[in-house]
Amino acid sequence: MAVDMRLPTVHKHISLASQSHLDSKHLVVPGDVITSDTGFMRGHGTYMDEERLTASVAGEVERVNKLICVKPLKTRYNGEVGDVIVGRITEVQQKRWKVETNSRLDSVLLLSSVNLPGGELRRRSAEDELAMRDYLQEGDLISAEVQSVFSDGALSLHTRSLKYGKLGQGVLVLVSPSLVKRQKTHFHNLPCGASIILGNNGYVWLYPTPGHQDEEAGGYYTSMEPVSLSDREVISRLRNCLLALSAHKVLLYDTSVLYCYESSLTHQIKDILKPEIMEQIILETRQRLVEHEG
Amino acid sequence: MRDTPLSNCERLFLLKAIEEKKRLDGRQTYDYRNIKITFGTEYGCCIVELGKTRVLSQVSCELVPPKDSRPTEGIVFFNLELSPMASPAFEPNRQSELLVTLNRQLERCLRNSKCIDTESLCVVSGEKVWQIRVDVHVLNHDGNLMDAASIAAISALSHFRRPDVAIQGRDVTMFSPEERDPISLSIYHMPICVSFAFFLQGSYLLVDPCEREERVMDGLLMIAMNKHREICSIQSSGGIMLLKDQVLRCSKIASVKVSEVTELINKALDNDRKIRKEGGKFGFAESMPKERITTLKRDKAPVEMTDVKETASEIVNRTETPTEAVDSPVLVATGTAQVGEGLVNSWGLEEDEEDEPQMTEDRKRAGEVMVISDSEEEEVVILNQEAPKSKKTSKK
Repeated sequence: MAVDMRLPTVHKHISLASQSHLDSKHLVVPGDVITSDTGFMRGHGTYMDEERLTASVAGEVERVNKLICVKPLKTRYNGEVGDVIVGRITEVQQKRWKVETNSRLDSVLLLSSVNLPGGELRRRSAEDELAMRDYLQEGDLISAEVQSVFSDGALSLHTRSLKYGKLGQGVLVLVSPSLVKRQKTHFHNLPCGASIILGNNGYVWLYPTPGHQDEEAGGYYTSMEPVSLSDREVISRLRNCLLALSAHKVLLYDTSVLYCYESSLTHQIKDILKPEIMEQIILETRQRLVEHEG
Repeated sequence: MRDTPLSNCERLFLLKAIEEKKRLDGRQTYDYRNIKITFGTEYGCCIVELGKTRVLSQVSCELVPPKDSRPTEGIVFFNLELSPMASPAFEPNRQSELLVTLNRQLERCLRNSKCIDTESLCVVSGEKVWQIRVDVHVLNHDGNLMDAASIAAISALSHFRRPDVAIQGRDVTMFSPEERDPISLSIYHMPICVSFAFFLQGSYLLVDPCEREERVMDGLLMIAMNKHREICSIQSSGGIMLLKDQVLRCSKIASVKVSEVTELINKALDNDRKIRKEGGKFGFAESMPKERITTLKRDKAPVEMTDVKETASEIVNRTETPTEAVDSPVLVATGTAQVGEGLVNSWGLEEDEEDEPQMTEDRKRAGEVMVISDSEEEEVVILNQEAPKSKKTSKK
């Protein structure tokens, strides 16, 4: 078995124009005093310590008129209504499923919030309750949308659309929830040959683009046909690119993922995980993103 | 906070690997992880590292009135704590089942086996006895807490010294360590716990399961034994059906492991005693590895090298003879400015000034070595087309 050995190299960091505005960001750590001015309202991530507004999480200070809040860099997912999430079923209870979504409390998926297989619309009966495990079991991955937020912070999910439901073959990548950019749509069919679901909770799902949509599926049909090698390679490359992007704290959205993929084509898939090649690829991606915006 | 649940893929992968006799970290079925025992500056303080699982135990003593039913015996009290530092699954004030199991097993292993002579802890019969308190804290949970806790507890007890006392009639004077040397406890034998994890309805077993393996196991068998091959306690949890010969086989494996571990503990105790006598530095500060930026310390990773020689010779035989030795091999070095053959860099960028001493150094060192930079701001074209290294062109 061949062993790969590399010596550590010294890198010269070339500062890009986009990074100069980092100095203007107000970064704080827990305990830092944000302001002594009492005229501000305190938002999330802050608390009052002897009339001084102090940060309780490590992150960036955001100010909207009179409201000051601290947006943390690494945090558990805080749900908002309308977010798309990817979660894993942990428990099957009476009339509902408990879904793990990288938040402080497990989210809830009520039986009345899912589409019945076959797509019929009727009142859920006792037989439906007993057959819950046939639809979704412990360990299954689902994509869903946040319907509402309970008072204690737990999320209530629903899959009342054909694009949500049980996820079939693919790769799950876990990143920090603060890296996923809020956009109009989180389901993308990338031109490189794979599809991606960027969950707001930091769970990103990569899967081969489905050939044609099965109308009667209702979100439970998961194709178990073997995935072709080329599709698998594309998905592996995307997964490594996502890991590289999250290691360098680049915001994840379809454009950044695509640019990263294209920059990585010159390297082998397994080389993307090496730190020095990761840096190269991210540098190119950042440059292209700056040009794209500018 | 609950731990992230194990995905179906991971579970299947672990079980399949176990069926093929492969473990995640490359160990064999009966192999323990690296055990490291270190003692603190105080007597009775010990940290045990079993792979990544870390357990701290501290022994302290106090003079108290004895129990009414046993007026001539000292008291030994065990307390194991699972703090959230060990794992996000442990909540601060929750009495979980795991905690109760570990506490009971520790008590059974060390108290019921009578490894400590409690009669020697009596000072004044019926009035004053020593109460020895063993506090075990789990610092990091990476599987097999019971083994680490039992090793830590018995090492700390063997390391501990209690203050000397003088009895005159009914007066008891306790001497401080400066006045009289403290006395170590009298320990008859060292019971060590060995854990066996069973998978797939008892058909596969592993010694010293790591955290991932613990999550997919069906049942756990804990055997506490000492080096004289006496079983101190045996407990099976998880509801698996074990055959008689399986249990006997486990006890045989346990006796081998226990003798190794006992030797390790004795060696660590001897080392510590020697260093203290010689007046050298002891304690946790000395045993922690120095974390400097310039040092790169990693544990030795096991690499499968069984057919390295054959594979290497195969590759060597297969490849063609290399082209003629090139006079100026192409070196790809990042962070340096471009050095052409005889050309002076006319970009005039700031980085050049800093790199020039390095550039000239390179040239002096390697003779006619052409250094290609990976800098994005320069156009680099390789003149040497037959170089064995891959072509690299980067454009601004």
